[in-house]
Amino acid sequence: MIAPKRILTDAILTDAMIAEIEALAPRYPNRQALTLPALHIVNDALRHVPLQAVVEIAAVLGLAPAEVQDTLSFYAFFPQDKPAGEVRAWVCRSISCALRGGEEVLEHLCHVAGIEPGGTTTDGSLTIEPAECLGACDFAPCMLAGKELHKNLTLESAADFVRTTQQQSARL
Amino acid sequence: MPPFTPVLLEAVGIPNGHTLASYRARGGYAPLEQILREKQPVDVVEMVKASGLRGRGGAGFSTGLKWSFLPKDHPGPIYLCINADESEPGTFNNRILMEDDPHQVIEGIILAAYATRATTAYLYLRCEYPQSWDRLQGAIDEAYAAGYLGNAIKGSSFSLNLYLHKGAAAYICGEETGLIESLEGKRAWPRIKPPFPAVEGLFRKPTVVNNIETMACVAQIARRGIDWFRSIGVPADPANPRDPGSYGPKLYCLSGHVERPGCYEAPLGITARQLINEYGGGVWKGRRAKAAIPGGISMGLLTEAELDTPLDFAGPGRVGCLGLGTAAVVVIDETVSIVDFLHNSCRFFAHESCGQCTPCREGTAWSLRMLERIKAGKGRLKDLDLLAEIGNTMGMMPGSTICGLADGAAWPIKNAIKKFRGEFEDYIKTTNPTGWMVTEPVPALQIVGAH
Amino acid sequence: MAVVTVDGKDIEIGATERLNCIEVARRAGVEIPHYCWHPGLSVVASCRMCLIETGTRDPATGKVTMMPKLVPGCQTPAKDGTVIVTESALVKESRARVEEALLIDHPIDCPICDKAGECLLQDYHFEHGQAERRADIHAFHSRRRDVGPTVTLFVDRCIMCTRCVRFAREVSGTSELMVINRGAKEEIDVFPGFPLDNKLSGNVVDLCPVGALGDKDFLYQQRVWFLKREANVCGGCATGCSILTEHNQDSVYRLKPRENPHVNKWWMCDDGRYGWHHLHDSSRLLAAEHRSAAGATRQTIEWPAVVTRLRDDIKAAGSLAVAVSPMLTLEEAWMLCAVARSIDPHAFLAVGHVPTRGADESFPGGFTIRAEKCPNRLGVEAVLSLFDQPLHSWNDLVEHVRAGRATAAWITAGHPEPWIDATTAAPFADLKCLVVQDLFDSPLAQLATWRLPAAGFAERAGTWVNAGHRAQSFEQAIRAPAGVWPEGRLFWNMLGRRGLYDPVAVRQQIAESSAALAALAGEMPATGVDLRLQQLAGA
Repeated sequence: MIAPKRILTDAILTDAMIAEIEALAPRYPNRQALTLPALHIVNDALRHVPLQAVVEIAAVLGLAPAEVQDTLSFYAFFPQDKPAGEVRAWVCRSISCALRGGEEVLEHLCHVAGIEPGGTTTDGSLTIEPAECLGACDFAPCMLAGKELHKNLTLESAADFVRTTQQQSARL
Repeated sequence: MPPFTPVLLEAVGIPNGHTLASYRARGGYAPLEQILREKQPVDVVEMVKASGLRGRGGAGFSTGLKWSFLPKDHPGPIYLCINADESEPGTFNNRILMEDDPHQVIEGIILAAYATRATTAYLYLRCEYPQSWDRLQGAIDEAYAAGYLGNAIKGSSFSLNLYLHKGAAAYICGEETGLIESLEGKRAWPRIKPPFPAVEGLFRKPTVVNNIETMACVAQIARRGIDWFRSIGVPADPANPRDPGSYGPKLYCLSGHVERPGCYEAPLGITARQLINEYGGGVWKGRRAKAAIPGGISMGLLTEAELDTPLDFAGPGRVGCLGLGTAAVVVIDETVSIVDFLHNSCRFFAHESCGQCTPCREGTAWSLRMLERIKAGKGRLKDLDLLAEIGNTMGMMPGSTICGLADGAAWPIKNAIKKFRGEFEDYIKTTNPTGWMVTEPVPALQIVGAH
Repeated sequence: MAVVTVDGKDIEIGATERLNCIEVARRAGVEIPHYCWHPGLSVVASCRMCLIETGTRDPATGKVTMMPKLVPGCQTPAKDGTVIVTESALVKESRARVEEALLIDHPIDCPICDKAGECLLQDYHFEHGQAERRADIHAFHSRRRDVGPTVTLFVDRCIMCTRCVRFAREVSGTSELMVINRGAKEEIDVFPGFPLDNKLSGNVVDLCPVGALGDKDFLYQQRVWFLKREANVCGGCATGCSILTEHNQDSVYRLKPRENPHVNKWWMCDDGRYGWHHLHDSSRLLAAEHRSAAGATRQTIEWPAVVTRLRDDIKAAGSLAVAVSPMLTLEEAWMLCAVARSIDPHAFLAVGHVPTRGADESFPGGFTIRAEKCPNRLGVEAVLSLFDQPLHSWNDLVEHVRAGRATAAWITAGHPEPWIDATTAAPFADLKCLVVQDLFDSPLAQLATWRLPAAGFAERAGTWVNAGHRAQSFEQAIRAPAGVWPEGRLFWNMLGRRGLYDPVAVRQQIAESSAALAALAGEMPATGVDLRLQQLAGA
């Protein structure tokens, strides 16, 4: 199933994104293996993978849109309806963090940010989501915000994080 | 006991320990070069077999034996997958290895690929480890530049490409065929076996899936020798011909209610109490332990009295736990309700069940719902019987499910109810004084959506 | 020969046969319950309903060693020495638990669910489930979601067997269906804007073990326990899928494919599946009508009178041309030729109009829809060859009439779709006697002296020969509408035969009269016979 790479003039996938996907193609013996890398490339750029992007990814990879969506929806990592916040904070709720106050930290973070777990602040600066074990139990309770691991969180440091994030976003 | 001089963790604390220069200065890559010059792939397989190395990912299967399952004269390609999806709650040793000594891991990978005649290796890395990604990619780039990866490595006829492949936050991608399906771009539903990956794995070609720590061990075995490896740990029980022993150093993760959570390297076979007291500074805040997870949450619970269990491949099983698992010990102090523990465990497994097979998909959801109802003060003693039954029937071991996630979900339930039944009963009776004795089904708690 | 033991009973299987435990147990009369396995799809062993105990028997000592844990019957090959146990406590408990698990979140929909009466969840619950519910009570009914123009989905009834998803990926090759989410939140869905819309869509409804997927065409039309079913053959194209016609009180409600490894395996296409509505179209021709001249009013003639007057009229008109429709059965075609030659020994016999649409369409799973939209061209040609060489086509007949070489014509058709226009029909206006036997009115039927109704595919019994030279005999499912004598009955009476029309007797007669069709003799297997093989054998 070879499909044209650009179907619509207002396509979501840019040439740069497509080039990035194609650059990985020689690593794999088939196109379907590019699915997760392609989803990450789009998600990194847009902070979500809208349905239209799924159609375009499918066309690039020679798959049916349902095949890409099947994979995407399994992982619950890729938002679809709207972009995640500029900063996406994953707060661990697994056993080691829960034992050292992780649930309370999550609750406090959401309270300070004024959102429910899984939600995004109205200024679009911050999304807070519960995560399963982040593999940083030596620094429990912990949180992964973007590429930065926040260690040994307290209610105070959690509140500081929210305020700093929103201030930084306002400055941009 | 005298502290064990770290080998796998030798780079921790060394400035720029993650670089190629540092690794070579510590003796790294020389073993690889010698093996490429002087040994055949089958020699490396025999070396690893003779060392007694058992996989560090959780199953503890003999690594050399796993490699030998590959078909002998396959035209290829053969694939090596490195499982860096480390998601077992309480476990973080792979993270430290990748961040602090990526070249150790890479040398092990190249040796493993040489042994198995793999021509492409994919390192499947969970997306929650961005620092590991950067460190590994940096090390891979250094390795290519130095000629340890790519075509005709160090003048030999052996070529290998190593690629990082990012996951997307699903625990089941740590199951070897779940990893394979995910790499292939599909939902990570583990495959039925047979066929086994050694025969038909990634892209339907012969494949070996190995853990990060296992790869690091391979590099150290190549450097320090079989005798060194076998001098550490617990030898095979001479009375039991089927016991392969528990050889080598192990990275133990310690977390939860201890003074010093961290990753500690020790010979296989130290006890949980030794780990907690001699490495971890003891239970925190002067408290007593109520229980401890022996090897990642899937392995179940040790009671305080069982903390003298040796943490080797055979020890935890003797006290009713699933096994050594990832050797990640999580300490739970006396102030924690066992109901909260089990709820946390059931929530994790219900969230992570891939949903493919009926007993796990429905059993994990059912057990979570029961724990939620118990926590909401509407529990019944009958629920404990139902939970115990789910715990006893769900899993790969009885044959009811396709993969071991269900066993991992079942064991905390089994252990918690068997070893702490009194606490559950007290909780239920106290919080539901009028309904704890009901045996007929009760109305479900409000469920959001149909499921 | 290999010996497999099923619940203590030894049965033999072929040494080279590759069978799983479900297939072998079936041969021993034991049905291992299962949802997700299907012989036409990949094996996933995910429902866990087919878990059984297996072991091996040592051929030397006869000692049986059983495996300590249950295994899925669908993924376990049965070989020489395999021992299968399906009645142990371990197996029974496992089945009860799988049923319980599936019912925990199953909506209370039986009273409003089409599948009731043919639902595996119901059946297995009754046979293998436990009597009382143990899980929390959660009464709800299913959400409904459209997945395509012909198929509807009741989302919450789904038990995640994934047969439908695998079908769309492996057999139709269209991959419209997908699983979304993870764990107990999984659902079946289609991608927005890419509905389930391929020519084989309806098969997913057959595959669904429960009432999750439904035919919009059949939804809420009839309870399945009122339906009777006959083994039929689809008349939609030259593939000739084996089907079941399901009906009640002479109304067809739905068609289902019937397994035939030589023709359609387990599938049928949507055109055939939903292509029965013309049988109950109110504009069908419903009476034998005669008019004395163009412009005169048509009179309805009683059928016994038709038998004699038709013969007289044609004889009086002179030279006869006959179009033997590829919608007719072998038996009807043969009788028509015999009737024609008994009236005019030099009657011009031709194959009737062969409707063609598009090109042959093949699917990855090995199914083909043919462009030739009639079921029996090869059969009609074989019958005509018994009377005449060379064969004459419909175009030859039209030319024959246009050239004025016929003064009477008998055109059989029976096509559900319009098949002739006024221009092609025009030459037939000059005939002294034109007989048109068809389902619906047409420009040709407008010119007819005798306008006779035809029977639909479910209203006749007989034999068709498909594009693969396979002859399949089938039963009559419903009666033709009142006032309609099916072609077979009319021709039988015009031949002067006594009693009710007996297609089996006619088939036997055809078989005895021809070496090429000798395979038609005797009892016909349910999946038909390959006429060419018999011809090779006889040669």
